Amino acid sequence: MNNTLWKFLSLFIILAMVGVAGCAPPAPAPTTAPPAAEPSQPTGLAACQGQNLVLASMTDQYVAAFRVLVPQFNQASGANITLDELGYVDLYQKLIADFVGHTGSYDLMTVDIVWSGEFGANQYTKLLDAYMERDKAELQLDDILPVSWTLGEWQGTHPAYPLAGYANVLNYRQDLLAAAGIEPPTTQEALLDAAIKLTDAGNNLYGIALLGAKGPAVAQDYMAWVQQHGGRILDDAGKPVINSAENVEILEFFGELFQYAPPGATDYWWDQRETAFRSGQVAMMEGWSIARAGYEDPEISSIVDNVDIAVAPVAAGMEPKYGFGGWGIGVNADSTPEEQECAWQFIKWLTSPEMQKDWLKNDGAPIRRSTMTDPELVALYPWLPILLESFEKGDGDYRPRIPQYSIIQDALGTHVNAFLVGQETAQEALDAAQKQVEENWQ
Amino acid sequence: MHKKSRFERLLLTVLVILTVFFFMAPIYWLLVTAFKYGRDAFAIPPRWLFFDFTLRNFQEVLSNTQTGRFLLNSIIVSFGATALSLLLGVPAGYAIARSGSRLLNLSSYFFLLLLMVPPVAMLIPFYLIMRDLHLLGSYISLIILDTVFDAAFVVWMMRSYFADVPKEMEEASLVDGASHFGAFWRVALPLSVPGIVAAAIYVFIFSWNDFLFALMLTSPRTKTIPLGILASFSAVGVNWGKMAAMSLFAILPALIISLFLNRYFIRGITMGATKG
Amino acid sequence: MITTSKQTLSRRQRWVGQMRRFLRGEGAYLAMLAPLLVFVAFIALYPLFFSFRISLFKYRLTDPNQTQTFLGLDNYSRAFADPVVLQSLRVTLTYVAGTVFFEILLGLALALLLSSEMRLMRTIRASLLIPMALPPLVVGLVWKSLYNADFGVIPFYLKEVGVNVGRGPLAELSWAMPAVILIDIWQWTPLLMVIFLAGLKSLPVEPYEAAYVDGATRWQNFLFITLPLLRPTLLVALLLRTMQSFKVFDTIYATTAGGPGSVTTVLNFHIYTVGMTFFDMGYAAALANILLVVIAILSILYIMVLERQQL
Repeated sequence: MNNTLWKFLSLFIILAMVGVAGCAPPAPAPTTAPPAAEPSQPTGLAACQGQNLVLASMTDQYVAAFRVLVPQFNQASGANITLDELGYVDLYQKLIADFVGHTGSYDLMTVDIVWSGEFGANQYTKLLDAYMERDKAELQLDDILPVSWTLGEWQGTHPAYPLAGYANVLNYRQDLLAAAGIEPPTTQEALLDAAIKLTDAGNNLYGIALLGAKGPAVAQDYMAWVQQHGGRILDDAGKPVINSAENVEILEFFGELFQYAPPGATDYWWDQRETAFRSGQVAMMEGWSIARAGYEDPEISSIVDNVDIAVAPVAAGMEPKYGFGGWGIGVNADSTPEEQECAWQFIKWLTSPEMQKDWLKNDGAPIRRSTMTDPELVALYPWLPILLESFEKGDGDYRPRIPQYSIIQDALGTHVNAFLVGQETAQEALDAAQKQVEENWQ
Repeated sequence: MHKKSRFERLLLTVLVILTVFFFMAPIYWLLVTAFKYGRDAFAIPPRWLFFDFTLRNFQEVLSNTQTGRFLLNSIIVSFGATALSLLLGVPAGYAIARSGSRLLNLSSYFFLLLLMVPPVAMLIPFYLIMRDLHLLGSYISLIILDTVFDAAFVVWMMRSYFADVPKEMEEASLVDGASHFGAFWRVALPLSVPGIVAAAIYVFIFSWNDFLFALMLTSPRTKTIPLGILASFSAVGVNWGKMAAMSLFAILPALIISLFLNRYFIRGITMGATKG
Repeated sequence: MITTSKQTLSRRQRWVGQMRRFLRGEGAYLAMLAPLLVFVAFIALYPLFFSFRISLFKYRLTDPNQTQTFLGLDNYSRAFADPVVLQSLRVTLTYVAGTVFFEILLGLALALLLSSEMRLMRTIRASLLIPMALPPLVVGLVWKSLYNADFGVIPFYLKEVGVNVGRGPLAELSWAMPAVILIDIWQWTPLLMVIFLAGLKSLPVEPYEAAYVDGATRWQNFLFITLPLLRPTLLVALLLRTMQSFKVFDTIYATTAGGPGSVTTVLNFHIYTVGMTFFDMGYAAALANILLVVIAILSILYIMVLERQQL
């Protein structure tokens, strides 16, 4: 009996092998998409009639604006754009999977400023330059601030189009600062000084909220401080210089600030930093301008009417430069030309000066000068002038917008956190980060 | 046999209360957070009983049409994977339990090994296979992938369950001229319903809770509920109330099943487990 | 011509007959197992082959040219020279040992504590199974907020009783590992309780009666009768939890992301980073295979013990 059993089993194994061979992947498809017929004729919303598109959006505040405006666009154009809302990490992974798999699941996607290099260099998203050239008459490109263009520019081309500009600003509790007789700090030294004075651990009150959690959070916050102290992540030749003496010093400073942050700050992700500030436990917080409106919402904030905003302080004597970030919007290179055309129509429609007002009123973030100087909007959002000032001296490259960005972020995300929790010294941490980046550099 | 002193009784009662507290407190926290405003979710000191009650989070979750979609997708995938893994796994478990062949008996260890493969190790190859089969973003891809692990678990569990079911009746039916399939179908299967239900619950929960495979293999149209929860994380603040409300939806079906069919579950899993 | 066709026919007949007889006997069992084997061969074995093959290459998923350079065993030697890998292997083993040990201990204690058949006890036991049904991702997120040093519930009460919580359980180097282990304990101990309860109920009464006559204490009963008799159940519990514990990912992803520093970076999480952040597929596959070998060795040891039990 066992003999027969063996015969059958080997038959199965052979069958299985054949099956496996059948499953083997075909030779890798050429990844450069065939050059689509370049648009020559300007086309309007009519191009969208009957098109089914999917828009992958990060769940930042502006997603609320998408929820309102996407149906409006569908109504106006006859397109059917579906909104897919994704968190930061999963958005990136889904997009990469979509791009390298050439599955074309997403036609439109929000593109973090730091992804533009990677998406551009690998031609994941369609370069929008031809469309921009064709439609330049209607785009009012000059109205879009220079720094806004860093949202999606790569080596002179445009793998994404500006969507939502964020400025790194200083939010502070005017009531607490006034009570302590402290002026809003304008330099990093004053910031540390104010943080020391405002910290009253016995009453569960701390000077400043920072991002310390392992991963993108601590990496991005540290890079913001590198920028504010005039340090740099890449040298002129574009090589990583993470462990420079200057950066080590800045890391020491960053670590010192943590002594005046809530004790749990080394575990803060963006949401917890916001919670700490909104619950009234901290006096100051540097962060993206887009969160500003939330402080006035009594359902989620305990500090209504007590918050003011200032440009982010830089080191004394430094030419003021303010961290700039935010999102562009891109079009999948693997989508069909018709889908791409409709996607471009959507971008054009959304970023037009008229729509930008609705965009902002529904929690979007600005990219145009006309939006930030619009009297109606300024009356609604009195902090827009500060934003404009930050944008005008904005630095969109303090986090290197290069294809290797995620490697830098991962290395800093691990080792800066290790420094903050006392596992490594500042020098060791940055040496280790530098080594890790060099090993994975391509 | 031994009488318990009053002190012992008191001590045991305290221990029981502590146990219940430890296991239930986090769930209670999630429950009340779903009914709180964002600003109160992390109020210090924590508010366990008295807080501004609101249904806002539920309104928000329900008004988002996608929540229903996520739930539906989760149901489709979990039921699909459960059905397929029972279909493949139950007969296989029976065969291993009843066969006299050493080779077949040992093959159960193969399924055990399969259970131990870390999902991360299979993720990339699976992604590439599904891409080449043009199945990315389909329900099928997720069902198949979940079934690999689910079926291995079903085999492992049902094997020991069937081993516990007395053979005599099946042997009698074989003598009466029934085939092995007949003995399995008409005799062994009806006797093993509790075990099958238990296995079904277990793999249903596995599939329902799966996050890693769903992350990579779903499209916007097939996204499951854990991914919906993850999406409430943004770079500028999480609405904890909303997330908690969504989580309650996410755990509801699994909860109903495990409470409603609890008796089956306990009987099934333990009968299998104690035999090894 | 005619003879040959006749011969074929009879050969075929013989084959069919053989087949029929086979299917009436052991073959029926094989036929029941076959669909699953074929399924697994198609779906699970190919990824394993693929993973082995690609581990010999340098292959970056995001490389526009999709070049695969043959490296031989370089990915493996790189792994063994990488302190991060050795560290995360150590972290994994600590995590598995910690979770399995405490869960078995507490599961047994709970089974003894809650073994009464009173209605209330039955309700309690049923409700304790809820944590198991929750998505690990949700569990991780809930515990992360409970643990938060500044507005989390647990540090709040710890501070009330005068404990210095420092940066909070998940952010202190020496506390992060116990803290994530506790989450696992919370979620899975009840399952072990149920298994042990069943094990306890199936024990024979006779040895206890004999012991009673001999005047044994309850502690002696437990140590010298209950535990030895429970051995098969203990082994099954050990296996079940070891298996699942090695696979931990969601909880780490949602709580610490492997931090602070790298004290909770289990190998699974490191593989995920290498694979899904660096897209360094060859190296990630090599790491996954190393983990597989570790797990396989452990399970073979287990199987040997189990087989000896049954003989």
